[in-house]
Amino acid sequence: MSEKKQQVSRRQFLNYTLTGVGGFMAAGMLAPMVRFAIDPALQPQSKGDFKAVAQVDEITNEPQRFDWTIDQTDAWYESEVTKSAWVYKQEDGSILALSPVCKHLGCVVSWQGNSDYPEQFFCPCHDGRYYKSGENVEGTPPPVGLDIYEHKIEDGTLYLGKAKPREGA
Amino acid sequence: MQWNKKDIEQYIEVKEYVDTLVIPLTPFTLNADKEMVKQASQAELMEIYAKEIERQFTGRILLLPNYTYQTVNETEEKRLNEWINYSEDNPFKHVFFITFDHQWKKVEKGIEGNLIWLPTISISEIGSQDSVKLIKEQVEQVTELIKSYW
Repeated sequence: MSEKKQQVSRRQFLNYTLTGVGGFMAAGMLAPMVRFAIDPALQPQSKGDFKAVAQVDEITNEPQRFDWTIDQTDAWYESEVTKSAWVYKQEDGSILALSPVCKHLGCVVSWQGNSDYPEQFFCPCHDGRYYKSGENVEGTPPPVGLDIYEHKIEDGTLYLGKAKPREGA
Repeated sequence: MQWNKKDIEQYIEVKEYVDTLVIPLTPFTLNADKEMVKQASQAELMEIYAKEIERQFTGRILLLPNYTYQTVNETEEKRLNEWINYSEDNPFKHVFFITFDHQWKKVEKGIEGNLIWLPTISISEIGSQDSVKLIKEQVEQVTELIKSYW
């Protein structure tokens, strides 16, 4: 090993330090930016919004009503809000959970609520009707179909999340 | 719909669909301790009932604020009838008074609207599973009753 090789020239030294310091500063600037950019992905994906509602083996081809409560906090008080859904197994075996809130003015609809219209959801307030799929029956007051709950199944339990309006609604 | 800004603004848009008024009647006393406790707990319960009924029929019912009074007498009876006339002009078809106070039951014939008197259920804890179930069942019966008038 010659002494000369180990020596760092002035130019090299400056290069190293400047790159080092510059890199450090750049990292200092970029790190928070990256953090902000990926922040939505880091959020605990609203997992708490899903609530256990029913056991999957309770669910049949016939819509059944399930109720559950969620804690809702607004500026003044925390309260328990009751939620309901009409849940059934569709022909392909997948589960459909419909919001019971009428899209006309917000009354609660019920499955076969009127004996004149079997196999339909019926709203007692203004005779709004929906097919089993939740689609609104043309010519009755509701302008769109019933909202659909996000759902997932874990260990034989059905969890429901938020009710989402239909596509194109 | 409830008596708050958001609902009333919506009500104004869709007046023709809302034809039923619901007015809870809740008494109050200030000089009898036991009675006060009873009335307060009934008032609490009434709020739950009223909200629950309103939730079932949001699009057709307007839930007014509670009417508070000391005792049922002719003046109060007359007042209810005045409201019924007033609401029919403006233009509600059905008026339901809902109460736990049995004194109203006696003067029911003189009231031109529909009086729904509910027997009180004494429940120790309003939030408990059993009481929720009980209340739900009673609400269901009341909503059936209201439906039969439509």
